[in-house]
Amino acid sequence: MDARFTALLRPFLKHTGPDDLTLTPDTDLRALGVDSMQAIELLFAVEDTYGITLPDEELNDTTFATAGSLWRVIAAQLPEEAGARPDDGPVSAPGTGADGRATA
Amino acid sequence: MPEHGSAPLDALPPTASGSQVWAALGRAGLIAEVYRDGAAGTGVDPGRLAGLLGAVDARFSLAATLSASVQLATALPLLATGRTPVARQALERALSGRATLALAATDVTAGTDLTALRTEVRLDDDALEVTGEKNWIANTVTAEHFLVLARHRPGRHFTHFTWVLVPADAPGVTVRPADSALFADSGAGHVTFDRVRLGRDHVLGRTGFGLPLFARHIATERLAGAQWAVALCRRVLTDTHRHLAGRAHGDGTLWHLDAVRQRFAACLVRVRELHALVGALAKEVAEHHDTTAAATLKAAAGPTVQHVLTTCGQLWGAAGFATGGIQELRAQAALFGIGGGADEVVLGTLADAAESVLAGLAPPDTAR
Repeated sequence: MDARFTALLRPFLKHTGPDDLTLTPDTDLRALGVDSMQAIELLFAVEDTYGITLPDEELNDTTFATAGSLWRVIAAQLPEEAGARPDDGPVSAPGTGADGRATA
Repeated sequence: MPEHGSAPLDALPPTASGSQVWAALGRAGLIAEVYRDGAAGTGVDPGRLAGLLGAVDARFSLAATLSASVQLATALPLLATGRTPVARQALERALSGRATLALAATDVTAGTDLTALRTEVRLDDDALEVTGEKNWIANTVTAEHFLVLARHRPGRHFTHFTWVLVPADAPGVTVRPADSALFADSGAGHVTFDRVRLGRDHVLGRTGFGLPLFARHIATERLAGAQWAVALCRRVLTDTHRHLAGRAHGDGTLWHLDAVRQRFAACLVRVRELHALVGALAKEVAEHHDTTAAATLKAAAGPTVQHVLTTCGQLWGAAGFATGGIQELRAQAALFGIGGGADEVVLGTLADAAESVLAGLAPPDTAR
């Protein structure tokens, strides 16, 4: 998972509590507050940010289950030179805003 | 809307139905003028939308205005996401007023529980089949096409829904009018789809994009509702002021009573609040599909309309019970708290965004 993805995801995770969250591929998006409305906004944010269209066959609950599952679908749409690897590991996302700048 | 542009509307009687108003708007080219690109593809121009809704509200029934509002704000922009010839042709006919279009989202299940909807679409390689029922849909009895929100997978996940463009004359489509004197002029009704088979080109937009598209385009309907609410309240308050000023009471008129003036002034405050809110948020909704801004507008419009019409209804006294009077209008205007997302739904959306709304209220020098 790249830093841009974690920065994009962070504002959608409403139930992370006061401490910084370390995102891992297993991070459960729904448990952290990504309900239907949030997930819709997240979908638009992903497609706008990366300039990609998620394949129709990947629009399902499995894709939006965890940070890792969503990242794998995004990474598959990115050009190889972007350096994306679907199995990228944990990325700490301390207090980053939607634009990727530190807010703390 | 320019004054000269309202002439086609003035040619219609005040009792014109929603479909008659729509046809007149289309013939005069007034529907296309509402959109920034003239064809619904890039959304509405908020000023032009407010102008047209105000012009329609001033002349026709609330039900007829509802018919136009739903199509202008939501149905046509949603249809414009379609890229197939069948979608293009349907859009062209709707823009010209030659056809009305029904937005069939609300199912037999509760409108506040959209992801529970039962209408389903089975997708094959080159065909599809729609089965289900939609209730209380504006423009149902006049529509040439239905925009049907259907599920292509079981379950509630937001990716399980898809829009389908269904011709009203397709085999298996049955329409019946709703039993409602209040909303007959909107063409309100119920529609059943019994294994309606169509070509795959009737899928509108991307498979699985039903709810994301709905969320984007219902935001514009919520803006339209707030704009219309301002126009309606202004009209009712103007009529009420005229009534009060001409109704003798003691040595003066009802308008000279402090209790009346104060209640009326409280209504002015409410409608000015809503007017200011529309001015502050219209661009965010129209150009950026801001769902929080749209929910704010909708949550403000319903209670404002209710307050103003209830107060004015009281001020009209017994005369308000005349056929076509303010008490009838007040009953119809309860729509503002129900249609396009009930008050409770939009308040829930707003609560979800509490932190960002509060952050946005901070003065610039105390941003932390």
